[in-house]
Amino acid sequence: MYSSYEKIPIQLPQRIYVFLLALLCAFFLIAARLWYLQVIKGGSFAEQSKNNRQRTVSVPPARGIIRDRNQVPLATNRPAFNIQMYLQEVTEVDATIEHLADILDVSPDDLHHQLHKQGGPRFRPRVLVRDATREQVERVLSRRLSLPGISVSHYPIRFYNEASLAAHVIGHIREINKAELIQPDFRGYYQRGDVIGKYGLEDTWELYLQGRRGRNSFLVNAHSVKIQDLSDQTKAIPGNILQLTIDRDIQQAADRALSGKSGAIVALVPQTGEILALSSAPNFDPNIFTGELTKAQWEALSQGKERKLSNRAVQSVYPPASLFKTFLGVAGLEEGLITKKTTEYCPGYHTVGDRTFRCHKHDGHGAVNLEMALSVSCDVFFYILGQRLGIDRIHEYGSKFGLGKATGLELVQEASGLIPSTEWKQKRYAGTPESRWFPGETPSVAIGQGATSATPLQLAVAMSALVNGGTIYRPYLVQGVYSHDGKTEKDSFRPKMLSQLNVEKKHLMQVQNALKSVVHGKRGTGKLAQLPKEWNISVGGKTGTSQVVSLHSKTEKREHEHHALFAAFAPSEAPEIVVVAVIEHGGSGGIAAAPVVRQVLEAFFVKSRALSVPPAVRHPEDVNT
Amino acid sequence: MIQEVKTFTKSLDWILIMLVGILPVIGLAVLYSASFDPDIEHRFFFWSFNSHLVFRQLNYFLISLVFMFIVASIPPRLSYRFAHVAYASALLLLLSVLVYGTISNGSRRWLHLGFINLQPSELMKVGVILALARYLSRVPPKDGLYTCKELFMPACIVLLPMLVILRQPDLGTALSIGAIGASMILFIGVKRSVLFGLSIFSTIGGAVGWLWFLHPYQKKRILTMFNPEADPRGSGYQIIQSKIAVGSGELFGKGYLEGSQTRLEFIPERTTDFIFSVFAEEWGFLGSMVILGLYLLLLFRLLTQSTKAKEYFGVLVTVGVVGMIFFHVFVNLGMVVGFLPVVGLPLPLMSYGGSSLMTTFFSIGLALSVTAQRSVFSYR
Repeated sequence: MYSSYEKIPIQLPQRIYVFLLALLCAFFLIAARLWYLQVIKGGSFAEQSKNNRQRTVSVPPARGIIRDRNQVPLATNRPAFNIQMYLQEVTEVDATIEHLADILDVSPDDLHHQLHKQGGPRFRPRVLVRDATREQVERVLSRRLSLPGISVSHYPIRFYNEASLAAHVIGHIREINKAELIQPDFRGYYQRGDVIGKYGLEDTWELYLQGRRGRNSFLVNAHSVKIQDLSDQTKAIPGNILQLTIDRDIQQAADRALSGKSGAIVALVPQTGEILALSSAPNFDPNIFTGELTKAQWEALSQGKERKLSNRAVQSVYPPASLFKTFLGVAGLEEGLITKKTTEYCPGYHTVGDRTFRCHKHDGHGAVNLEMALSVSCDVFFYILGQRLGIDRIHEYGSKFGLGKATGLELVQEASGLIPSTEWKQKRYAGTPESRWFPGETPSVAIGQGATSATPLQLAVAMSALVNGGTIYRPYLVQGVYSHDGKTEKDSFRPKMLSQLNVEKKHLMQVQNALKSVVHGKRGTGKLAQLPKEWNISVGGKTGTSQVVSLHSKTEKREHEHHALFAAFAPSEAPEIVVVAVIEHGGSGGIAAAPVVRQVLEAFFVKSRALSVPPAVRHPEDVNT
Repeated sequence: MIQEVKTFTKSLDWILIMLVGILPVIGLAVLYSASFDPDIEHRFFFWSFNSHLVFRQLNYFLISLVFMFIVASIPPRLSYRFAHVAYASALLLLLSVLVYGTISNGSRRWLHLGFINLQPSELMKVGVILALARYLSRVPPKDGLYTCKELFMPACIVLLPMLVILRQPDLGTALSIGAIGASMILFIGVKRSVLFGLSIFSTIGGAVGWLWFLHPYQKKRILTMFNPEADPRGSGYQIIQSKIAVGSGELFGKGYLEGSQTRLEFIPERTTDFIFSVFAEEWGFLGSMVILGLYLLLLFRLLTQSTKAKEYFGVLVTVGVVGMIFFHVFVNLGMVVGFLPVVGLPLPLMSYGGSSLMTTFFSIGLALSVTAQRSVFSYR
């Protein structure tokens, strides 16, 4: 039985050599492979192993602060909290979401929706609740142990300290969309989830406000858990500070004066073009744009009849109506067609050919000179003057005052308005019998009706030119740009003259003085703009009541009601401020717009001269302000 | 008696023992790096260690060493006599695993026997070596090379446990048993026609296996091997990360305890199946050549010393041991460097784990026993 066990029947050494050779070959294979991996490809694998463990996260910068001329903050940043999920740390996503939804008292479907909306590498956290409330954050943090993979992150979010104050000036931000992300000028700078200015100064000054992104590199392990920071760190640099020409208090007075109405107010420093207040109503709270805006909210803002997002001060045009008489007066004096003593008789109507033009006072003003004509806003005086000037000279003077073209304010797409001319009509109605200018069309233009239109800002610039000796300034909103710590001034903006009226100062003074009687004269149409007597500050101004529809088709409907306009400057001898107000469908300018302007003027002088409004003269419409 | 022990110890192959001792020591150092955790601190006199596993592995190592000497002292005559008994009882345990075993990582491999956790598939390897060596030495081929008919019994001895192990399922161990059988039979030699037939049969068998026997995870692993980048986060992850670790070691390595792939846990199973990635990352190509050389020397030494065995049985046992160790080393390294599928075989003598270490030392002990000289224990 043991025989075969004892003897060795084969040639042993030979067999063993075959086996040794086989072993050698196999080990050579492994060694060759190691040589290939470690020596030939070693460098590339070394690089891969570095990338494997190194993560770079960019740190969004805080957006630049926007403040008023006295450094009162208008747009700042507040800390916001996101509740987020690290997919790699969660084993049961559905169960975790159910639990989280239960804790936060929200629907699990919403959280699922948020989760599935986001893609990208698994190590990037998924934001489940954006800008969570303090209570939600506390609930999550107190149950942290039962919620593995759920964490809270914080980041700066835009905050508009004064809510809707100057909303149309400051504008708003939005999360960047896909189309913008691939725009060539944006590429490389913005990332998904970033915000950019979409409206107002936030938009036009985006490059200054955005700041510079920081980079944070750190080591992670295979589970993408941060192990340690690397030395390759760049701090995010917050955006620059934008200092505005806006005065918060005057702006607030303007916003309040417009509350519940629709219309616009512009307040300028006539000698520089600085905008002290620019208000458009109805307005909106830009803070709602920092969160997730529902479709309904967006539609209500952008498409509603109220046109909340439209900046009426620069984007809406109105017939300047009787305000236009101011500039016509200057044209008449300068062209030598009238002197300040020239009188015309107003019977309450004026006929050109077979057409009759009514004065707003149907029984007539009697004999009126320029000052009286402006003071009582006699239409007939200006029908006659307009006819003498002719449409093209009216156009020339209107253009000199900056009407009919954009003022150059860098804010939003500006409306240019229109002062008709023969040339305009030829172009507009080219090839039709309508292309000729008929003399019977001139009287409407002379009183700022017909096709004549201007933005409130244009009217304020024109009025400024009248009272500053004849210079058209480009209106501006940003006084200076400062580094985020406020230490270095990066840019400052000086007043910019656009053009000169080239009109004799004497003539401007005569009209300016005449406008004082609009507010302070016995028969003046703008008496409601008078400031408290105790202040001893006189106001010059001009009322305007622009027709929305022709008088014979006018009904009682609100949208058929006239727009009320008032342009004012004060003190009337040496104006420091020009204010223009338009109240849409407000009715008569002297009644609806003049008190609104007065409120802004009051705010200005209360601040600049440390005055206070005596209670005795409080007007009934102040009560709600 | 003392003289007898002296003769025995003197006749032991101490070069082999040194080779087989040095690898686990290196393994312990690599294991320390692979399981390094700054949060853990063990004080040992003045030293502090930041790993649990090293101490456990050290225990396994010492116990295995003792086992090896005990096995080495068993006379081959006894192993021969009880070879089929060992085989049968291992097979019995293996079958009981299918019923009573506990499941871990999706397969049923472990048997809990109160005081000890046994992996009968490991015992089976030794059982197959012994039983096959016994059968082959008793029934040598009539004209020097095996014919198909003559191979029926040996094939049964090998295939029976393989099928049971495949049921667990544990492809790696099943294949290693196949490798043991193949190396022993091929060592004696088979007819060319048989080789030819076998290659056709195995092709068909492979196809059948792929269609009916392989689990989806195993298929995926094989497919992934050819294109790991197709699924970098899933089944290709291990291969990619292991290749990065090995490759990034470059010529000289990143230095001990400096392997970032290891430290940051990018290498899965870094203490067990992928321990060589850890070593190659930290010690580079040169270090890897040293390890490769040590394994080669070990296998050479085993083979060349087998000629000193007095019995054919002993030679065959040694060949089986060589086949087993070689298969493990080759498949493990092949998997780590990314040219063989991830089948989950540990690297003998270096990977963490008591079972594998014990089996290896046990089989080395068998190899030692066939060349050792005894007068008292010898049957003569």
